[in-house]
Amino acid sequence: MQAQQLNAPKKKLQLTYDQQKTIWAIIFLLPWLAGLILLFLKPFIESLRFSFFNLTPQIGYIAEEFVGFENYLFALNSHTTTNSSFRLEILNTMSDALFNLPVLLIFSLFIAVLLNMKFKGRGVVRAIFFIPVILNSVAVTAALGGGDAISQILEQQGISKLFDLEFYLLSGGIPDFLVGFIVGLIGRIYDILALSGVPILLFLASIQSIPGHLYEAAKIEGATPYEMFWLITLPNVTPHIITVTIYALVDTFMTSTVSTIISDTLAKQQWGLASAMAWIYVGVVLLLLVVIFILAKIFKIGDSHYEH
Amino acid sequence: MNINLNANLETGILTLTDERKRKSAAIRRTRKFQAILISILRAIILGGLCFVILYPTIQQVLLALRAPGDANDPSVIWIPKNWSLMNFEIASIAMHYWNALLNTIKLSAVSMVLQLASTALAGYAFSRLRFKGSNILFIFVLITIILPPQALSLAQYLYFRDIQLIGKESSIYLMSGLGMGIRSGIFIYIFRSFFKGLPKELEEAAQIDGANVFRIFWNVMLPNARGAIVTVSLFAFVWQWNDTYFVKIFEVAKEEFPILTMELLNVAENVRVALFYTGGLELIGQEIWSNPLFLATISNVSALLMMLPLLIMYLFVQKQFVESIERTGIVG
Repeated sequence: MQAQQLNAPKKKLQLTYDQQKTIWAIIFLLPWLAGLILLFLKPFIESLRFSFFNLTPQIGYIAEEFVGFENYLFALNSHTTTNSSFRLEILNTMSDALFNLPVLLIFSLFIAVLLNMKFKGRGVVRAIFFIPVILNSVAVTAALGGGDAISQILEQQGISKLFDLEFYLLSGGIPDFLVGFIVGLIGRIYDILALSGVPILLFLASIQSIPGHLYEAAKIEGATPYEMFWLITLPNVTPHIITVTIYALVDTFMTSTVSTIISDTLAKQQWGLASAMAWIYVGVVLLLLVVIFILAKIFKIGDSHYEH
Repeated sequence: MNINLNANLETGILTLTDERKRKSAAIRRTRKFQAILISILRAIILGGLCFVILYPTIQQVLLALRAPGDANDPSVIWIPKNWSLMNFEIASIAMHYWNALLNTIKLSAVSMVLQLASTALAGYAFSRLRFKGSNILFIFVLITIILPPQALSLAQYLYFRDIQLIGKESSIYLMSGLGMGIRSGIFIYIFRSFFKGLPKELEEAAQIDGANVFRIFWNVMLPNARGAIVTVSLFAFVWQWNDTYFVKIFEVAKEEFPILTMELLNVAENVRVALFYTGGLELIGQEIWSNPLFLATISNVSALLMMLPLLIMYLFVQKQFVESIERTGIVG
């Protein structure tokens, strides 16, 4: 550093690599920063402000009336829809997310490993697993009659009756609580399949970018596929586990009833209330994220293992 | 093992190698057995899941392929009595299919390229070009990911009205180019974790060779992050394709600029008008009008028509997931 500073007056353009890096970082971030400031921060602050106001549309302008935390209190305590309330839905979505996430992660990593193996018709199978990614769109779902596209159609077509698992298991003399558990898990397969399309592709891509020589070396050393998974695939995939978790969490909330309630409130032109609801939603997601990050730190998931 | 070795040492090398051969043959046999077991299990699991995914889709396709007149025939469950592509014709008229398809492709492709550029740069800066305050900035990336889009819609609409971009497709391009498009935050996160996963030695070697930061990014890091590029392009394209939210608030879809998603949402209303004006009325007969099942079928067919190009595209693109080094067979 000292020598560099001495040299600096002579050759002004001679920057250290770290200085170069900072300048390039700013250049690289420029489009995103511009977007953040121009397109995001302004609406972001505006929406935070809205949540403390009662907004009513008038001809040509919007009338504002400051109400403090009333919108938040109303959303949490008194807001109800025909068959549930905002608070209930938020709690439901939270517990759903927490229960589904681990299953979703393990399931999609497992499927990604399977899809990465070499077998006949791999391309077709991968394309089939891509269908839920497309089917999860609002427009397609609306066209197919609302609800979770896949599970909805399955119910419509009576596939649940096709395999009346509960009946078979109960008549097979298996205890009630176990049947409940198994049926619950199987009932979730459709939900998890619908959610797992994107995570599977993310894991697949991350497995694909593991340097091939690692596996070659391991094979020469005589490692079994099992060892290769635990010692090569999994450590290399860990930085992506957090990505997938965040995606899945956000997706769970975005497709939940909570999101629908906010949209409905917005459509009723109760903009202040809708903003307050959105901020409660953000608070909850942030809380869950903090929990996940702390867990990840404790279990050392998500660090690049090249940095150690 | 040890006992075996000692006993063999007395008899000499020959038996030792025999012992080794026998062992390696046994290992090979168990490996082969394992491989067969794995492939059987894999076939069962993947086959089952594919069935669950495909079952409704196949049924939709078969329902779509029957003649419109059979729409409410309850005896048709799987195989149509009268095969016909009429439903597809009607749906494509009602959706303004070819026009909407072209517009959607354009919208998705342009915004994909823009998103790819802005998010790859940002992702690289956040993973490899750490500087003071980059962690604080990264928190904003997380906020853009988790903030529900509804929270911003009103303020965003008012803002875009002020800069007169409402009703123009360039509003979508502006958002994508500045890294604020559909789930851009997730893309930045994906790029960040991919670049993070690349070994530091790559960067150091290039640095010693005298490459500057941009060259390292462009010539060394980017080619190694092909997985990320393919993934992000795919999602950027698909999510823009499926988007109704931004297209709705920025009022991009118009009569002269139809877009598949919006056409799909309105297809039930459009089908009567479309048929009336194009003279398709005689094709299917009057009594069909009052049949909700017919309209539902047309909705389903339209959804299929919207999905189809993406599926075809994916069939080609998924080959890109296979890297040039053939090593995939060993994984797992």
